[in-house]
Amino acid sequence: MTEEGVKNLEDKLVNGWMGLFGNLTINQSTVFDRRLMGRNMMRKVLFVFVLIVCFGLIAEDKEGKITAEEIIETMTETLNPEQSDAIMEMTIVTSGGQERTFVYKVYSKNSGEKSMMKYLEPGRVKDQAILMLNNADDIWMYFPRTNRVRKLATHAKRQKVQGSDFSYEDMGSSNEFIDDYNSVLIGEEEKEERLCYKLELTRKEDSDAGYSRLTVWVEKESYIPVRISYYHEKDKNLLEKELILSDVQTIDGIPTPMEMVMYNKLDDTKTTMRFKELTYDVDLSDNLFSEMGMKK
Amino acid sequence: MKGKAFINKLIFFVVVSGFAIIPYVNAEELDIFGYFEPQYVLLYRDGESYQLNSDKLRVDLQHSVKEVEFGADLVYTLYYGKKNWNALDFLPDVIRSEVPEGMQSYFLFSFNDTLYLDNVYVRMSNSRVSCVFGKQQFSPGTGYFSNPVDVLNSKDALDPTYEQTGHNGGRMDIMFSSRTNLMFLYSPIEGDWTNSGKLLRFKIGLGHFDFTLSGYEFREQLTDFYSLSVINQRRRLVGCEFVGQLFGLGVWGEGAYNFLEESDDFYEFLVGTDYTFESGFYVLLEYHRNERGKTSYQDYDINDWLRFYLGENKTISRDQMYGMVSYPITDLINLQILSIFCINDGSAAIVPVIDYNIFENVDLNIMGNIYTGCEGRFYNSKLGNGVVIRGRVYF
Repeated sequence: MTEEGVKNLEDKLVNGWMGLFGNLTINQSTVFDRRLMGRNMMRKVLFVFVLIVCFGLIAEDKEGKITAEEIIETMTETLNPEQSDAIMEMTIVTSGGQERTFVYKVYSKNSGEKSMMKYLEPGRVKDQAILMLNNADDIWMYFPRTNRVRKLATHAKRQKVQGSDFSYEDMGSSNEFIDDYNSVLIGEEEKEERLCYKLELTRKEDSDAGYSRLTVWVEKESYIPVRISYYHEKDKNLLEKELILSDVQTIDGIPTPMEMVMYNKLDDTKTTMRFKELTYDVDLSDNLFSEMGMKK
Repeated sequence: MKGKAFINKLIFFVVVSGFAIIPYVNAEELDIFGYFEPQYVLLYRDGESYQLNSDKLRVDLQHSVKEVEFGADLVYTLYYGKKNWNALDFLPDVIRSEVPEGMQSYFLFSFNDTLYLDNVYVRMSNSRVSCVFGKQQFSPGTGYFSNPVDVLNSKDALDPTYEQTGHNGGRMDIMFSSRTNLMFLYSPIEGDWTNSGKLLRFKIGLGHFDFTLSGYEFREQLTDFYSLSVINQRRRLVGCEFVGQLFGLGVWGEGAYNFLEESDDFYEFLVGTDYTFESGFYVLLEYHRNERGKTSYQDYDINDWLRFYLGENKTISRDQMYGMVSYPITDLINLQILSIFCINDGSAAIVPVIDYNIFENVDLNIMGNIYTGCEGRFYNSKLGNGVVIRGRVYF
């Protein structure tokens, strides 16, 4: 049952309940037979009781009907609009406390299936580009000083992007939560001062995803994840990274976390990504996501 | 000759016209960036130590007006330390003794200060077609240490990612789909149309693989150091490349068959594989065969050595193995060890490298080089063991 359907049923029940008491009032005013009234009252109280129980069951059903898969699908759709054009700033804080800041342009199409990053700053990486197709299954890097394009194999997906705490897989794989993991809804929990669904995602047997399991807290209202815990590939109990998404703003009608902070618990490092500019109202050509597009 | 002159003039006109617009461009819209690179080279050979240092300044200019982009970079390099060398000092004694006393002065060379435009080009493009005229970067091939299909550049296997100089020419890329494109390059460097460089490349992506077919025709210059003359001959190359993954490993390869006008035809190929472990430890291996190389070190002659130093031939020996391991010690420090093994004579070169990003826009690169081979072998200790310390400050 859809959320709207549940709401309609709730409305009907509430209206019916109010109508019942209205009828009761009329009955009280027109029929002054206590015995009859008592019998009617008993029936109606019983009916109300049954309705309350049913309402309770339906209300519980509503919770049960939203499956973990539906939450993950809605979350993935919300996080990956059809197209986007943005400028992002990425700040890496190393374990020694040094900071490195990168500014890059990022284009995305087909709900993140295709994406391209082009560095604007700092000078040492200026105009370098990374093209990711098929949800980062195919990655190419472009080096402008030699005009060389190098294709990376899948094993490189788990490597850090420019020494950050985000891997290519974290950055370019838009559908990993659906394709690579089985999800279970554990319950509801307040996280980052938001009421959230708490989900447990376990890596599918045939998947080569870089984490053994994930714990995801998805805000009930916006379906934006507010926190994701990533567990080590080989040790399900070893927390490797934690991502916190915040500052949700509505951009072109789509709720968007404007800041993402990835904490690497093993290396004691932190990477912050923040949108400096963002629009979803774009029509990007497929040709942009090509070798020629990287060189432009 | 008329055709070549016309195309040269056309390219010159397009480039000059492009840059003529720059003064009228708002200064804020002209992107100026580059780097300063001091480099210190310490070399130990035959019990003596030498220094050859340089200060390099590269200034890049870039500007775009809609679909037209102008780019240029000016490189100024100052050398100091031991600037004068004799190429014969780096040759085995048996080879050196073949050179008549009176001709030894021909092999002296100096590192003189240089100022030149490394790249200067105009790029015009729409969503499917891109045309670049002028001096530009061109680096084909999938190999890391060497590229058999790349006849314009000569990679230094000890420092294979260092930038190459630009090449004059006109280039057109036509994109049929995001992973299918055709490229044509015309490089009017030598002779007329027939002898100028012409390259055609067709690239297609199939699954997780990229395949490229290429054909190239150009005029090759080979120096004969016995007669101190130059052999000019037309060379035609048919090449293919692939890159992708197999059983979780990155795999690539490239091969070229070369048809020569006067000398014997020869082939050259390279295959490679790599893998990155969860820890970030990276391993790369390549095998390179160059039929122009010799199979026995006793057959190496002065032409083999000096053609290799001048970049006219990619290797002296026929079969090489290249290896690289790399590990990020921290987020800012990367340790690499490059090794080159000559299968034919058993000599090797080992190059440990430390890359350190000291500050936001400052890199420090320390490279050692250790040659293990005996006298006469490809990577012999007579070449000199040493250290290169290279800083780079970007702006």
